[in-house]
This record gives sequence, C-alpha cells and structure tokens, in this order.
Amino acid sequence: MKETRLGEFEEIILLLVGILEDGAYAFKIAEEFESQTGKSVSIGATHSTLDRLCKKGFLTSELGKPTAVRGGRRKRIYTISASGQEALTASKKLRISLWNQYPAFAKFAFIA
Amino acid sequence: MVYNKNIPPKLAKRLLHWFIRDDLAEEVLGDLEERFYQDKTEKSSFRARLNYWCQVLNYLRPFAIRKSTSFAAMNYGMYRSHLKIGYRNLLRHKWYSLITIGGLAVGMGICLTIFQYIHFELSYDNFHKNSRDTYRITIDKTQNGGNLINPFTTYGMGPGGKETIPEIRRYVRFLQAGIKVVTPNLDISEPFNEEFLIMHLVDTTFLDVFNFPLKLGNKESVFDEKFNIVITEKIAHKYFGTNNPIGKTLKLLGGGAVEEGNYKVSGLLENPPLNSHLQFDFLLSLENSYTDVTDSYKNREAWEQDLFVTYISIDGSADSKPIGKKLDQLIAEYRGSENISEKVVLQPITDIHLKSSALSGDIVTNKGSIRDVRIYFIVAISILIMAWVNYINLSTVRSIRRAKEVGVRKTIGAFRKQLIGQFMIESVLDHLIAATLSVVIASLALPVLSHILGKELTLSFLQIPIFWMWFFIIIVLGLLLSGLYPAFILSSFKPISMLGANSTGQVGNASLRRGLIVFQFLISLLLIAGTYLVYKQVTFMKNQELGIDMEKILVVKGPRINLGTDVKSIVPAFRTALARHSSISDIASSHSVPGKGYNGADFRKLGDPVSKNQHGRMVPASLNFPETYDLKFLAGSSFTEDISNRESYIIINEEAVRVFGLGTPEKAVGETLIRIKGIDVLRPYKVIGVVKNFNWNSLREKHMPYLFIFSPDEDNYFSFKVNLAHIQESLANIEKTYMSFFPGKAFDYFFLEDEFNDQYRAEVRFGKLFSAFGLLAIFIACIGLFSLVSFSVTFRKKEIGVRKVFGASIGSIMVLLFREFLLLLIIAIFLALPTILIGANSWLEQYAFRIGVGFDLFLFPAFVLALISLLTIGHQTYCSAKANPVDALKSE
Repeated sequence: MKETRLGEFEEIILLLVGILEDGAYAFKIAEEFESQTGKSVSIGATHSTLDRLCKKGFLTSELGKPTAVRGGRRKRIYTISASGQEALTASKKLRISLWNQYPAFAKFAFIA
Repeated sequence: MVYNKNIPPKLAKRLLHWFIRDDLAEEVLGDLEERFYQDKTEKSSFRARLNYWCQVLNYLRPFAIRKSTSFAAMNYGMYRSHLKIGYRNLLRHKWYSLITIGGLAVGMGICLTIFQYIHFELSYDNFHKNSRDTYRITIDKTQNGGNLINPFTTYGMGPGGKETIPEIRRYVRFLQAGIKVVTPNLDISEPFNEEFLIMHLVDTTFLDVFNFPLKLGNKESVFDEKFNIVITEKIAHKYFGTNNPIGKTLKLLGGGAVEEGNYKVSGLLENPPLNSHLQFDFLLSLENSYTDVTDSYKNREAWEQDLFVTYISIDGSADSKPIGKKLDQLIAEYRGSENISEKVVLQPITDIHLKSSALSGDIVTNKGSIRDVRIYFIVAISILIMAWVNYINLSTVRSIRRAKEVGVRKTIGAFRKQLIGQFMIESVLDHLIAATLSVVIASLALPVLSHILGKELTLSFLQIPIFWMWFFIIIVLGLLLSGLYPAFILSSFKPISMLGANSTGQVGNASLRRGLIVFQFLISLLLIAGTYLVYKQVTFMKNQELGIDMEKILVVKGPRINLGTDVKSIVPAFRTALARHSSISDIASSHSVPGKGYNGADFRKLGDPVSKNQHGRMVPASLNFPETYDLKFLAGSSFTEDISNRESYIIINEEAVRVFGLGTPEKAVGETLIRIKGIDVLRPYKVIGVVKNFNWNSLREKHMPYLFIFSPDEDNYFSFKVNLAHIQESLANIEKTYMSFFPGKAFDYFFLEDEFNDQYRAEVRFGKLFSAFGLLAIFIACIGLFSLVSFSVTFRKKEIGVRKVFGASIGSIMVLLFREFLLLLIIAIFLALPTILIGANSWLEQYAFRIGVGFDLFLFPAFVLALISLLTIGHQTYCSAKANPVDALKSE
C-alpha cells in the first residue's frame, strides 16, 4: 500500500517547494527551511525527504540548467504534483476544521 | 599536507563519489558545492570545509547510497547459475577438466606432503617443556691448525658449570654404555645381541631436564641404585611381552663403561617421540656406575677424557653467550694447554637435529640436514608454482572455447565484473575439487615418502592445525595467482570480435604464456639435472677404487662378550681352525672393519715436542689383516707370526706418513710413533710397514691418517676372504666352527661391500626423491606443453590449411610447429646452465672424492626433456599437419 500521509517535516518541505517555485532544489529548500524555521537541517536530510515525497507521488522533479556556481552541474528542480496539492489542501482543511472546533480560539477562526 | 582552502575538500568529495548513487551524484555535488561557496562567503573557509564534510556524511542515508552492482546482480540465482554452468563445463570437457584439475591436485598434494615432512623435521625436540632454555655443550677445538667440533666434553664440565655459574640450573651427562649382550630371563631365555640398541649412562636429572614421561616407577628413585636400569616400552615389550617389567632382572654383558652383571628394572619410559634427537632403549645411573672419577669436579681426572655429552638447562632470562664464555674459563682453569684452544659453543637443543652436520662425532644417529630441508622446500614451492602456471595456461586456452559465450553474455548486458565473478567461481570450483583430491594424494604419498626417507611420518597430519593453515593458504594463494588472470582475460573479450566470423584474435598475453612454459621447462631441467648428478656421484662412489678390496669379504661379528684371559688362545685358534678350509683364502680379525669406524687418538713422532701432536685413526688388527684386505705395501712388510711384543707394531698409510712428518714411506719404516693415552701415559709403536692410501669410510671424506696396530686377539669382527661361488658351503662351515668355539652366542654376518655402500643411503634417498619430484615436474610440464600446443594448433588451423593448399608437406608443417617449442626449450636450457653449474658444484663440495661437472650434466636433462616434449606434442602436431585443408578453410 502506498504511504500517502504527510509528516510535519514533509508538509513543510512540500510547502517550501511550492513557495520557491522554479528555484526549488535541495540546497535552496534546505536554506529556506533554515531561514523560515530558524532550525538547521542538512541537505542530505532534505534530499532524503524530497526523494520520499517523489516516491509518494506528491512531487515531480526534473533536471534543470547547469550553473557556474555549481561547477557546471545541473540541479534537480522539484514541482508539486496534483496529488501533492491535494494532500496539502486536505491537511490544511483538517487543521482548520480542528481550529474552528476549539472554542478558546474561535475568535481566530479562519474561513475555509 | 598542502590543500586548497578555497575548494571543497577533495577527500570528502571522493568519499561521496564512492558511496553515492550514480544518478544522484551530479545534483548532490552541485548542491553541496553551492552550499560550500555560500558558507565560504558568509563564514570562514574552515567552517565551510567542515560543513561540507558534515553534509557529505549526512548523505549516508539508505536512499542515497549506491547499491553495489555485484551485490545486486550476483544474487543467489546468479550464483547458482554460475555454479551450474561451471559444473556442466567440467563434465562437457572431461579430458580437459581431468588434466586441469589433476595437474593442480598433484602439485598441491606433493606440496602438502613435503610441507608435512618439513614440519616434522622442524619439530624436533619442541616437545620438551624447557626446549628454549636447554642447550648441548659442544667444543670447538683447534690444535695444530686442525679444527674439530664435537659434543664430547669431560666429566667435570657439567657439575663444574653448575657450581660456578648460577645461571645454569641443571645439567645432565650422557655416556655411551657399550653393552652388547642382554639376557632378559636368566633361566630360560637366549641372550640377545643388542649392539645396535642404545644404552646410556645418565645423571639422575635426566627426567627433570627432558620431558620423557615415566610410565612406571618412582621418578625420584629410578636411578638410586647402581644396578637399576630404566627401559623403554619397546624393550619391555620385546623382553617381557605384556607383563609388568618393574622388578624384573636383566643380565648385561659386553663391557664398555658398564659393569657386567644383573640389573633390576626400576622404571619404564614411554618410547622417545620420533621427533626427538635423543633416541635410547636403556638408561643407567651415571653417578653410580661410572667409577673412573670418584671425587668432585675439581679432581684432575674429571677433566681428562672427552667422553660425555652434556646438556644444560639455563635460567629462562639468561643469555647463552656469556655462559659459554664462563665455561671457557672453566676449561682454561682445569685443563688449559698452550697448544690446544677449546671454545664452548652452546647449541640449542632444537638445533641439534638439523644443524649438527659440522660435528665430527656424535651420539646422535640419523641426523637431519637443514640444507636438505631447504632444498625440499624450494622443490615443493617450485612444483606448486608449476601447477599454478599450468592452470593459468590451460584456463587461457579454455577461453577460446568460451569466447562465444562471453560474447553473448556481454551482448545481453553482462558487466565485466559479473564475468570475472563467473570465471572466478569456476576457478573456485576447480581449486576446491583439486584441494580435496590433493588431500587424498597427500595421504597416499606420505607413506611412500616416509618409506624413502626411512622415517615414520604418520597420517595424523590431518589433525594438525598448521596443516590446515597451509592448506588454506595454498588454496587462497592459488586462486589469487592462477584464477584471477584467466578470469580477467576471459572477461576482457570484445563481443564484436568474439561473435564475428573470424574470431582468431590473440587471447591474453602470448609472451607471458611462453614465459610460463620456459619457467616450467627450467624447473624440470633443474630437477632432472639434480637426479642425474646424484645418481652419477653415487655410482662413482660405489665404483671408485678404494684401495681396499671388499668384493669378496664376508664379515662375522664376534661373540661380543668379555672372554677374559681366554681370548688370547681362543681367537687365534678360531682363525687357525677356519684357515684350513679351502673356500676361505684369507682370514683376519680386527676391532673394526671398513665403514664401521675407528678409534681416534693423538700421536707424535718420537723426539718431536708435545706441540706436534696430531690426531690419528687407530684400528687394532690381527695377523693377515693387510693381506685379507689387499692393502698395497709401499715400504716395509706386513705383520708376521714372530712378532711377540703385543701392541707395539703398526702399519700406517701414506697420509699418516705425511701428517706425522715421517718423510718418505721408506724412511718411515723403523720410525717410532708415540700415542698419548692419558695426560702422562705414553705408548711407543714401531712402524713396520707403509701402505697406499685407502678409503676406510665413505668418499665424502678425504684421506685420513690410519694406523693399524698389531693385536693378535681382536674378537670384534672376523673378516673372511671367500670364494663367492661356494658361499653357502663356506657360510655353513664358518657357522659350525663359530658355534663350537663360542657356544650359545648369536651368529651374525654381513657382506662388507653391501654394508659399506650403506653409507651412501642418504645420497640414494636424496636421488630417489629428486627423481620422483623430477618425474612429477615433467608430468606437470607436459600437461602445460600439451595445452600450449593445442592452443597454438587451434589458432593456426587456417594458416596450416593455406600452407597445405600451397603445397607444404606434413613434415615441414610439423617442423614449423615444433620450432616454437624448441626455441622455448633452448631458452630454458640457457637459463638453467648457471643454476646447474653453481648448484652442482656446491652440492659436490661435501665430497672429498667427486665427479667433475661436465657437459653431460646439461645435455642429458636437455635431451630427456626434448624427447619427452616431442612425444607429448608429436601426436597433436601430426594430426593437425595431416588434416585435410578443406576442413580448415571451408568454415568461412
């Protein structure tokens, strides 16, 4: 059975891929993660998660253009797939629904 | 280490390359590099480099690590397929497999057998608990320019050393007892003539210094009484069967250092292990029996006679060199002499068996030789390498047959590594089968080897861990050396050339293959030359004119008991009684006969100073001795009946004339020689005759000074010159007379020539082994040659076809094929020349009388090898030369 749940780290990585759009490759994603969360992460860990998300079908990837700063090496650009989009939406919906059911936070309610 | 700080660390990069999946390498390296340069601008380059390392190590994650191709591809099913194909190939080419594996198995088996023997030779005396700290005292004695090393020391050496040198813990002295007749059961049994059994007088410390387990008897008290005797199990079984021997009585006769009389068995020892240099049958107490020296070691008599072999066990932490020096001082103190220099050399007990060849006398018989062990080792390794070389050649030849298979495999997508793996698996298969067979061969060859060597090597080698270690090393080394090369060759084929119609490309490195054949020829040549050399030298020694006539001599051993004063009348009467018989032309009695030793003593010419003392070899002999042995007189005359003064007249040889400075033989007659008997005892002998030099011992020895001392009643050996045509009659007659003179004594006889030639047993044995190894080497080399010829013939099939079409004859084609191998043979001969020359000369050096190294030493092996090679390849070349060219040419 194909694993389709999203872990927290996976979810953030997936969102970062979406944010970075054309610049979503392992190094950039890791860098963005660090700047957004303030937590450090290795490229390897990021790459491993990206690889896993690809296997789950949430991401697609292709090799981009070579650049000089990389010693002329190409980079792998990741893009969110339809099912990735879907999984993110489902996750968001679940959270909002949970937030809305929590009375103490009702004033912060979001509109889905 | 110099490194560039501005680029990512190279080692980390290489590490990453090594483990990262190929398809990820590019992007990952790119990412890391980008990170590195960014870090470098923001932080220090050191931090950047450190971070790079961390990032690389962080990529050690399952998703990113390369799946080892061999691991992935060579899964269980693949291995099974390789095994199956290997197995099928073995069966499909039965002859070929037999030759390949058989050659390998023979080589490995012989190697294991020889290793077994070497292991045995090297294991001598290791079984003693203190073998590292036990030494034998040997004396390096220089006198008047002559040098002798021997293990005989004085009575006082052991106790004196122990008393004055604290590092010496214990000592034990050995004295040969010289008992000749033993009667086990006084009432009923016959006496046994035991002159060849070994009886020693030893100190009570014997059982402490050595580890010879006592089976029965009290360790503390076995040597307490004078008439106690300790025997080995072998003797107990011989005399008493399965009965308990303790307390039984043995009657000893025959003099020597032991008092004759009845002895009580006080202890039973296990038989000495085969790898003990000390072999013995009876042991007696030295302190109680030896009475010539009564007091302490300080007594002067204790330093007079060199009769004792002394072993010492020293403190484990002590060094043997200074102890030797201290013993030197002891000798200087008690028997120092200006003319004689005596130096103590402490010989480790484990060296005695193999490294005693320099000793001039010994109580040890059947000594080994480190030189022989080395030669055997080299031979074993050479044969093993030949077998491997063969395997390489045969496997490469096999590759032609497999070329198509390799081509197909490669086309379908096999990696080179996989092919190497496949052919290695087949090599492993071959080697394992060969290894199994080699153990069988070793078990079969070992009894043969022990028979030739006269040593009882047992089959228990399978239980020795070191054997399995060798076995393992041989297999692994063999696989690496002989399995890898063919595997690489086979897997390197280009599919296109292998599958194409004209797949006649050269396989592997032809000059390497030729080099290997030359190597095989070389080893074979050396072994044949060795065999031939030993055979020639032994034949030479057996046929050499010795100066003594031995052909018709029958020797009867004397009764070997103390005849007392009767000896003076009985011995001459016995000789006279037999001299009347017509088939006996001459008869003499003597203390020893050729090949059976002599008594050493120091002599000098009357009037010369003490410093002129020289060592001579003394043989007491009776009337008629020179005539019986046909000694050629140069001057003077033989013993005559009217010599009344016993032991005062001598006949000497030319060498003695030279050594004692008597001038010419003519001048020597009438001179007097003085024999130094003890320190103060001198005896004069008048020279009455001089004979030509002769060889009393083996021809290893040069001519030595011999002195025949007139002694009419010697009863050790009776020599008869007999008419060989009537030998049965003579023997019967001699036995009858012997029995009437010496009733109840054993009648033993031998033909002198056989006994004498027995001295060359070691050489004959060496020759036999060499010829056996030589045969095996030739066998293996022939296999190699055969493979090379079949290889060459297959490749040149078309060439031969074309030549035939153009009119070449069968003969010319055969010559064409032979030429290649003859060239290799000639190269091998030239390479072998210097080795044979040096080896032969150094081997012959040990013989005072030796053959010259002639051309035949090279020509004979070359001829034999050429002949065998031609026979081996003749059939194949003939067949291919005769083949119809149409068959060779139509296939294209």
